[in-house]
Amino acid sequence: MDPGDTNSEPHRERSAFALLAGVHLKQNWRRLEAVLLQSKLLSVTVLLFIVGYCWLSFALFYRAMRFVGAFPGLGDLLVERMIFILFAFLFALLLISNLVISYSNLFRNRETNFLHCLPISPNAIFQWKFLESTVVASWAFLFLIAPLLVAYGLVEDVDWTFYPVTVFMVLMFVILPAIAGAWSAIGLARYMDRRFFQYTTLGLGVLVLVALAFWLKPDVVTDDMLETRVMLVLDRLLKNTQFSQFAFLPSYWLASGVISWSEGAISATGFFMLVMLSYGLFWGRFTMVMAGSPLYEAASAVQSRGPVASRWKWVQWLDRGKRNRSKAWSPGFLERFFGLLFWMPPDFRAVLVKDVRVFWRDTSQWGQSLLLFGLLAAYIVNLKNFSSKLNNPFWIHLISYMNLGACSLNLATLTTRFVFPQFSLEGKRLWIVGMAPIGLKKVIGIKYTLACLISMSLTGILIFMSCHMLNMPWMQIGYFTFVIAVMALTLNGLAMGLGVIYPNFKEDNPSKIVSGFGGTFCLVLSFLYIVGSIAILAVGSPWREQTVPWVVALGWGSFTVLSLGLGLIPYRIGINRLRHMEI
Amino acid sequence: MIELKGLVKQFGDLIAVDGIDLVVPRGEFFAVLGPNAAGKTTTIKMMVGLVKPTRGSAVVAGYDIQQNPLKARERLAYVPDFPFLYEKLTPLEFMRFTGQLFKIDHDRVRKEGEQLARRFHLDAFLHKPIEGLSHGTRQRVAIASALLHDPEVFVIDEPMVGLDPQHARIVKDILKERSQAGMTVFLSTHQLSVAEEMADRIGIIHQGKLIAMGTSEELRRQSGQDGALEKSFLRLTTETESAVTHP
Repeated sequence: MDPGDTNSEPHRERSAFALLAGVHLKQNWRRLEAVLLQSKLLSVTVLLFIVGYCWLSFALFYRAMRFVGAFPGLGDLLVERMIFILFAFLFALLLISNLVISYSNLFRNRETNFLHCLPISPNAIFQWKFLESTVVASWAFLFLIAPLLVAYGLVEDVDWTFYPVTVFMVLMFVILPAIAGAWSAIGLARYMDRRFFQYTTLGLGVLVLVALAFWLKPDVVTDDMLETRVMLVLDRLLKNTQFSQFAFLPSYWLASGVISWSEGAISATGFFMLVMLSYGLFWGRFTMVMAGSPLYEAASAVQSRGPVASRWKWVQWLDRGKRNRSKAWSPGFLERFFGLLFWMPPDFRAVLVKDVRVFWRDTSQWGQSLLLFGLLAAYIVNLKNFSSKLNNPFWIHLISYMNLGACSLNLATLTTRFVFPQFSLEGKRLWIVGMAPIGLKKVIGIKYTLACLISMSLTGILIFMSCHMLNMPWMQIGYFTFVIAVMALTLNGLAMGLGVIYPNFKEDNPSKIVSGFGGTFCLVLSFLYIVGSIAILAVGSPWREQTVPWVVALGWGSFTVLSLGLGLIPYRIGINRLRHMEI
Repeated sequence: MIELKGLVKQFGDLIAVDGIDLVVPRGEFFAVLGPNAAGKTTTIKMMVGLVKPTRGSAVVAGYDIQQNPLKARERLAYVPDFPFLYEKLTPLEFMRFTGQLFKIDHDRVRKEGEQLARRFHLDAFLHKPIEGLSHGTRQRVAIASALLHDPEVFVIDEPMVGLDPQHARIVKDILKERSQAGMTVFLSTHQLSVAEEMADRIGIIHQGKLIAMGTSEELRRQSGQDGALEKSFLRLTTETESAVTHP
């Protein structure tokens, strides 16, 4: 029987919240059933991936904590500080995540509009949407910290009570950014134009990243200082992380509660739990009772707002060409730019120009990429701050491979998020692109080329910079840049191929296309490819202390076969499917 | 009944609806026509309470939609041009859900639901997931669900889109019957023939204003055009456009 089923029940009045919960439970159950029915093999693969991810992240956290904890005299302090910093950053990410998801769930959602027309109070609508947004925004956080907390528990050798208490504290904690995110979304919707908000947020984001790149500079430490005043030096080194111990941050309450319980300080944990509980109860109750009316005001404001940007003088000045009839039909900047590629047929160029325009005008798309690569760039720029003290080839080597891993993981996110849904979206516009004499096969080829060019440039620059910051020789810089280029070709081929094999022509929203089975499978395969490739390349690295030529050759051979197999085979299968595809 | 008093809606600098006054009495079938971006959908959105008017008020079934939204919505049904339906539910489950939202007795939901399903030729689809249904069938599911609570006021935007002639006929017949039984219907459409055939009165909205209103005969007289309603519509909307362009 479906969850939420009411078939057999005699009639009794149910609250709107319970009805909505029942309907959504039923819908999600059927989605899950459909996924399980689609392919058992793929379901098992995804399940294994989830288990594998949890195990791998647990192992990494555990080893990292053991390693840091073994630092003489400072281990515990460093582990504690890491927990504080991690929770502070996760709190910030949860806030952003809740804000974005609440905004789209409350104001860009067809169901919400549908519910506003029914005899349901705005409070009930808000309560349901709040729960939905909180779950969607927080599941990844729970998925991320579960292995961390298990690893921490094992390192600290805690008793079993630590785990249920931690689960309870984490649940109380996630409510707080959810409430803040929901109110911020309502406030922004009520008082700020969406586009203006997007540009402002992106601008602020870039500023923060630039600030981070220059602010997070550790002090120079001499060997004498380390020998005499270790605590003082440590304080100076970690001074930029002290914000994470600000007593009014919810992440501080959670981290303090977790650490206190592991140390047996039960009353301290009780205190922090009560702090979180009281904040959660007060603001939770306040929000559940009071948010309905502002929600309706904000929803109405969102539907009533004219474009703010079009009223700005400088935007009007930039758009002057569009208003001038004689200039309105003349080629734009992109047409002129791609016109320089004179050897390319005009239909190829038209698809390229269209794809770049569509991407650029969807702020949320390039905003996410900018955030991902911006964070990576900030980290890489900071590498120079400590690479001057890094003389040990082992560490340089380790960091360079970890950088390769980080870059390729970012790349995989990019290809899964943007390249995978390309064909599904094009299928929706089949009446124009698919019917044009260019043919879908060529359209797929153009998209693949464009995606490769963009992703190779971005990741190539990042890897080049990171190697350069680590003062690596040119030979090694070339090696890593070449490797990331091969990985870009493979990951794009995989995403494009799987996108054609598992299309979804019903959805307009690329993020929903990605969240389907094909998208998840693409992400899993990309992740496995990256982990496998980095492991193979690291084992067969020609710059290890004791290099065995056949191991190097085997490493390179395996990497080549893996890359060709995962990049080429799905792409070829996808192109073959196109010939017989009925859309 | 519906009563719109001095309804104004402004989007930034743009006045989308500019002072509409309108009374649609109980049991009247009122159709509203207008070119694209005339302000029809915005008027409807204010009428059903999705958007707050900049000025003026909308009273539906005796309740101001801003002052008493829940009371008004209990007596109102709204079917937009692309209605939202839960894709993974079946039409039967969706109708039952709608009935529960409107707090209708279970037996009544079953009785009304069976009748509506039969009238709208939905019997064969009642247990199939909505995601697999054609656009026309979805439209019928939406209309049937909206009629389930026997609304006093029925607001519908472009009801015939995606419907084949047979099902379009069924929808027209049911709406007409309900209207004759006392339900007030407010229909927005681009299909002049539908408006002419179904409506007791037709209103033409252009550039946010209600520029003409009356029976199809009265509209012909107002425009000074005999024959098809299309001529009157084009004449009236063109006249307003020239008046705005060359005051």
